[in-house]
Amino acid sequence: MEDFIGALGSLLASTIRNATPLIFAALGGMFSERSGVVNIGLEGLMLIAAFAGVVGASLSGSAVVGLGFGLAAGLVFALIHALMCITFEADQIISGTAINLLALGGTGFLMVLIFGSGGTSPRVSGFKEVAIPLLSEIPLVGPALFSQSLLVYLMYLLVPITWFVVFRTPFGLRLRATGEVPEAVDTAGVSVSRMRYYGVALSGLLAACGGVYLSMGILSAFTENMTTGRGFIALAALIFGRWNPIGAAGAALLFGFGLAVTFQAPQEVIPLEFIQMLPYVLTIVALAGFGGRAIAPAAIGRPYRKE
Amino acid sequence: MSEERREPEGTRGPAFRRWLGNAAGALVFPLVAILISFAIGALIMLATGNNPITAFGALFRGAFGSPLAVGRTLLNATPLIFTGLAVAVAFRAGLFNIGGEGQFYIGAITAAVVGVSLGSLGVFGMVLALAACVVTGFLWGAIPGFLKAYFGAHEVITTIMLNFVAILLATYLALNPFRSEGLVPGTEAIDLAARIPFIGIGLGRANYGFVFALVAAAVVYLFLWRTKRGFEIRAVGLSPGAASYAGMSIGLNTVLALAIGGAFAALGGGVEILGVYGKMSIPFVSGLGFTGIGVALLGRNHPAGVVLGALLFGGLTAGSQEMQFATDVPLQLANVIGAIILLLVTATKLVELIVGKRARALASGTHLERGLGQ
Repeated sequence: MEDFIGALGSLLASTIRNATPLIFAALGGMFSERSGVVNIGLEGLMLIAAFAGVVGASLSGSAVVGLGFGLAAGLVFALIHALMCITFEADQIISGTAINLLALGGTGFLMVLIFGSGGTSPRVSGFKEVAIPLLSEIPLVGPALFSQSLLVYLMYLLVPITWFVVFRTPFGLRLRATGEVPEAVDTAGVSVSRMRYYGVALSGLLAACGGVYLSMGILSAFTENMTTGRGFIALAALIFGRWNPIGAAGAALLFGFGLAVTFQAPQEVIPLEFIQMLPYVLTIVALAGFGGRAIAPAAIGRPYRKE
Repeated sequence: MSEERREPEGTRGPAFRRWLGNAAGALVFPLVAILISFAIGALIMLATGNNPITAFGALFRGAFGSPLAVGRTLLNATPLIFTGLAVAVAFRAGLFNIGGEGQFYIGAITAAVVGVSLGSLGVFGMVLALAACVVTGFLWGAIPGFLKAYFGAHEVITTIMLNFVAILLATYLALNPFRSEGLVPGTEAIDLAARIPFIGIGLGRANYGFVFALVAAAVVYLFLWRTKRGFEIRAVGLSPGAASYAGMSIGLNTVLALAIGGAFAALGGGVEILGVYGKMSIPFVSGLGFTGIGVALLGRNHPAGVVLGALLFGGLTAGSQEMQFATDVPLQLANVIGAIILLLVTATKLVELIVGKRARALASGTHLERGLGQ
């Protein structure tokens, strides 16, 4: 029984750790897509931030400075995406794909330039686990949920905050309207472009938190292409969660649980590749409309032109 | 051509001028993207304390400076022609195929498995393995087409998701049922007799896969512009409403365009296995499907443009080693330049700053005028 509780506890803790970067990126993707800009560049935003975080931490020796570097890098890349999609009216899918390739190529290039070789960076001081008094002493869930790094607690806060911002504030209303009926927003005297810039910029900052958590929360180093598709799983969580912060977080937890299981379950039962497929297959199923169709914001993917 | 439509001799008629205008127009978007990205590349070289002229000179030498260099470029361009065609065919039907990466993996694992079991048949085995790639790629590509046509699931998202399903499936197959006894994780090596032979004539490791890719590009051209089905696919892409009114099936053409695209990307994966690697090792080469998107857009989704785009991207990769050797510029800069090209190649307003309002009319080869919402 002790063993079982222990295994369950570590599975839960691992679920949270795997879900955290997904939740950050999915919340970010939600801001962007709710404003009408598709963001399939989440993967690249996470990757560049994961790298910049490690660079910042290795220069300063401080994890917080690293986070600052990561946020700045995520923001810059997100603004490149925004500039292309909103100002230059480039195709949003293509720009997102380019952001991913740019982050992959750019981090590979900078790894050689800054650390002398590709592969894995030197170790840096990451975010250590901080046990919250009292809460972390609750049996089973305590150590799993409340003995995590600070970024995980930030994630706990951001899920309800994001929900509140999107559904209960004037900013959220404008953001959602921009993604559904930009013409109406324009008529009301609000700049569609500015709302979209806000949405994409927020996606950069949030995805950056996810990236920094990968390289400085779970690990303490950057490895080339360390996101390995997590940005796309986050996109899947966003769609599976119907572009809703709570839904996206729930989906990310489910996918995080799937990832946690693959590291613990015996291979003979189900091959791990099949468990890893789950997020993608479920998203396809959701898009195809089985069990309530996932419907995107109406104006998503289209540049807005004033008539 | 009928008598009255013939242009007077010795003058350049409006038709010719229009053709020239279109051809020049078609080049505007790619040229802007290429020039700006190379300029940014030059700035990065300067920032790292290198002479851009020396670095670009070395890059060019490494890509086209000798028969061996040309061979390297052809070798790198080959898979990109296939993955570029996969994007271009779907694009002509008004669809974005982001699934080239996964389709490439489906083809690779198909060729690896069929190649091993039929390797003893020699060239015949090779042909059968490539044919098998076409079949599996077609079926795999048909999935997002089917989901789009009959369930309304957007092909961009489903093809992205299917990339990972395909990669994981191929990984599982290569590591479990078809794993070799050897130390390197992956499938067994295919019999040399069933591999795609080298071209020779000093081109180094370049193989006839490049010739297959050129044939594939020609087939795409003939299919899209010289067959009824190709006409239907283009009609659905240009104006679904009009095509539907004319009695064409949007659903069927959607499925076919994505399936045919899948077949080409998978063929690329098969050619890569049979021409370069001889087996599927895990991890397998990645990113060729995504680069194919850049290739197709740079080539304005025309087969001839795809070949040129693939030669540019292939040349960048081929020459990057020489650049790193001659200067201190890490070879990864080639990937950065490639990514910036993709970033800029659809930027309508950016081109508008340079050529004025004509840009919008010229954007038709790179833009799908619709959103992702249903």
